[in-house]
Parts: sequence; C-alpha cells; structure tokens
Amino acid sequence: MNEITLLQGSLLSLLAFVVGMDFYLEVFFWFRPIIVGTITGLILGDIQTGIIGGGIAELAFAGLTPAGGSQPPNPILAGLMTPVISYTTGLNAVQSLALALPFSFLMQYVVLMFWSTYSFLMPKLDEYAKKTETRKFILLNVFSLVFVGFVYAVVVFLSAYLAQDAMREIVSRMPEWLAHGFSIIGGVLPAIGFAMLLKIMLKGWLIPYLLFGLVFALFIPYNNLLPLATVAVGLGIIEFNKKSSTNQNILNGGNSNDGI
Amino acid sequence: MTASNRVFTKKDITKLGLFTMFTCISFNFERMMAPGFTFIQIPFLKKIYKNNTKALSDSLTDNMEFINTHPNFVGFLAGLLLSLEEAHEDRSVIKGVKMALYAPLAGIGDAFFWFTLLPIMAGICGSLAMDGNIIGPILFAVVYLFVYLLRVPLTHFGYNLGLGSIEKISENAEKVSRAASIIGITVIGGLIATYVSLSLNIKINLSADYVLDLQTQLLDKIFPKILSIAYVALLYYLLKKKNVSPVILITMTFVIVLTLSFFGVM
Repeated sequence: MNEITLLQGSLLSLLAFVVGMDFYLEVFFWFRPIIVGTITGLILGDIQTGIIGGGIAELAFAGLTPAGGSQPPNPILAGLMTPVISYTTGLNAVQSLALALPFSFLMQYVVLMFWSTYSFLMPKLDEYAKKTETRKFILLNVFSLVFVGFVYAVVVFLSAYLAQDAMREIVSRMPEWLAHGFSIIGGVLPAIGFAMLLKIMLKGWLIPYLLFGLVFALFIPYNNLLPLATVAVGLGIIEFNKKSSTNQNILNGGNSNDGI
Repeated sequence: MTASNRVFTKKDITKLGLFTMFTCISFNFERMMAPGFTFIQIPFLKKIYKNNTKALSDSLTDNMEFINTHPNFVGFLAGLLLSLEEAHEDRSVIKGVKMALYAPLAGIGDAFFWFTLLPIMAGICGSLAMDGNIIGPILFAVVYLFVYLLRVPLTHFGYNLGLGSIEKISENAEKVSRAASIIGITVIGGLIATYVSLSLNIKINLSADYVLDLQTQLLDKIFPKILSIAYVALLYYLLKKKNVSPVILITMTFVIVLTLSFFGVM
C-alpha cells in the first residue's frame, strides 16, 4: 500500500492529457492499456506493477475497439487505474483491473458526450469553410481537441489522486469471496471483447476459419499467437490468389484475343 | 496529367501524410471525420487555389460533407483527391471518387488494423507484459509508430495514382478485404482458445469414497476449454441476435462470476 503524491497525481494528469488526445485521434496508440500502464508505473516509481497491470488490461481490451463509430469502454482509464489501484491498495493486477472498470465506463460516456456535442460545432465550421476563414477553422478544431485532453486530465486527477483514500477504504472492507471473484473476472472479461469482434466480423463463410483457429491454438499451444497468425496469413493469401487467378485468366484471354 | 501541372513537391505530400494525424479532430456523430478531413487539406488546398476564394470555398464546403473511413487510409484518399483538385477536375468527379472510396477503405482498415493487428499485438505484447517483461510495451509502441509512418508511402501512392486506376483499386479492395477477414477470424479463434479462462470448482460426492471433480474429470474430458467457448458463444448470441449492449454484458459477467464465487463454485 502506497500513497500517490500530488506531484505523481499531476504527472498522471499530464499523461492523460496527452494519451486522451491520442485516443481521440487514433494516431500513435499510446492510449492502449499496455502503454498507458507502463508509463503510469514509471510515474509511480514501480514500473513492474505498471507493465503487468497494463499487459493484463491490454488482453482484456483486445476486442474493445472504436471501429465503425462505436465507443468502447475507455482503454486509457483501464490502463491507468489498474496499476494505480495495485499501487495504492496492494491488490494484484487482475483484481485491480476489475475495480478499474467503473472508471473505464465513466470515461466511455464522457467520450460519447464529445462525439454527440461536437456535432454542434458543425454549423460554425461550415460557415468558416464557406467564407474561407481557415485560421478560425483551424483554431476551433484545435480548441476542441485540447478540451478533450483537458477533460481527461481532470477525470484522471480525481480518480487517481483524490479518490485514493476512498478506494483503499473499499478494498480494506472487501470480503474474501469478492476478492476471489475479482481475480476470476480478469480471465472472463476478454470473452466480451472477442464476442464483440465476432459480432462485427463473423459471416457464414468464415466459420471454418474460426473453428480452425480455435482448435489450432488449443492443441498446438505456444506462448503467443504469432505461429497461428502466420498460418492465417497463408490462408488469406490462398483466398486472395484464388480470386485474382480467375480475374487474371479473363484479362489474359482478353489480351490474347486482341493480339489475334 | 503532365508533370508540369503538378503543384506539390514530394516533400509536400510527405507532410500531408504526417498531417493525417489530425484526421479525427472534432470527430462527431453528425459528420464523423469531415472536420478533420477538411483540416488536414487546408494548407494544400490553399496552395492550389491561392487567391481564388470562390474555388477554395467550394472545395472546403465539399470536404465538410460526411466522411468516415480508416485513419490509416486517409492519406491515400486525400493524396488522390488533391491530385484531382490540382488537375482542376470537375467538383462532381472529385466528390464521386471520395464517395466511392471512403467506405470500402474503412472496411479494409477496420478488418485489418482493428480486428487483426490489434488482437495479435495485444496477444503477443500483452502476454510478454503480464510476465513483467518491458519488451512487451516497447515492441507495441514501435510497431504502431511504424504503422503510423506507413501513412506517408500510402499518401504518395494515392497522389501518384491517377483517375484511371481507381476501378482497379476498388476491385482489389473486395479481395483484400476477404483475405483480411480470414486472417482476422482465424486469429480471433486462437485468441478465444488462449485468453478466455472459465472453470468450475464443483466436486460431487458420487459415493463415500468417490468424488467427481466436474471440471477436470468431466468437462475437460469432453473438449478442452468447453466452458470458455460456450460462454463466448452465449455472449455472441446476445450481442448479435438480442442486441444487448456490451456494458450490460460486462455487468452480467460481473454478477454471474461474483455470485458463483460467493457460493464457492468457481
């Protein structure tokens, strides 16, 4: 059990400011739990806790993506609060992840709020575009982005610094079965992300590949999925060539006809 | 289009590729990436139209129309559209090309970057990090920096493409997206088998001296990880057929696991 100092709280805020904008823009992927967690560990002076907490949160969030205009539970708050809770309460990383999730949900709704309210900027931006007032157009956009970072900074300061005593209090009163349950949840949570990926991606003709991947990983276990990914790329190339070879034939046929 | 018509240097196009980092600025439900897509093109459109305010205004207004694609392909699209702008193609042609391409590009980008690359990277780097290995986060950051820099050659590719190749691109898009889906789904199968773990702690006294452990002596003998796979299938069913929101599913998972934990059967 450790105390987060005001300086550490401020640095975590600054981290949230930067990765919050990165998440809005989807550029460097510093917003993923594995990166946020590691830097959080660095700030807390306990990088090991940060890497482990970030890694566990990363796996749980593998399927939770903002693809197709849907907003997932927030990866930044999950990656940041997991090591913070481990550090302040002494819980293990998996239990901390379970307790970090409410923060992650809260931030999910804050981002949804941005996505909704920024619609109201559109008439103004339309006007600037029409009048070619490009300076104003750029400034309003930059302001909207910085504001996102600012809100992240505030939320993280409240969650990580100001709420730490309350969090310690809750954890100290946690009964054994609850702590045990939280350690199991870490293993079940990835199921939700994967089910969401399947919802978006799975189509009838893809089922054989899903079954193949499942059984391959079960019976040829390895400490990462790179071997399976390699086989998967092979299967993808087979599909690509299958189609392109028929196209090629049509094309070649056409060319030879022209020649004659 | 002859080379003399070209307004932009190679350096300009590289700058456009890097500038695509602002694509999702002011992202919102009404227009999605429209503000960002306009934002990144401003310095370049100004270079084309200089003092022609009317033409610049028309172009900016067109760009403020709805667009949603994958950020990694925005450079490709913007490069292509700017090559049409500098050739002073008809506005309807430029708009048509944009309309035709942004959705297929979004499909490929999502299938490849979100549904394939991210789960693989999360799987590899996450499992390294879980053991406290700093290589995990470092590898992750390096790969994604590379993915971002990939936007630069894609932008050059789009700029140099020309109108004639667009049909070929959309033809190939379909094939690439099928191949990407196969890779993604195969890997997700592996992820489910590897990273979901659910097991019961139920022991049944069948007779005075024989205790059946439901998990190790029955379920594991039928099919490994059968419970985990069944749970993913249940969640998939609820998401797809019943349109249950993910937040409800997470809450449901908490309630189920904590209840089972309370009664000591998990």
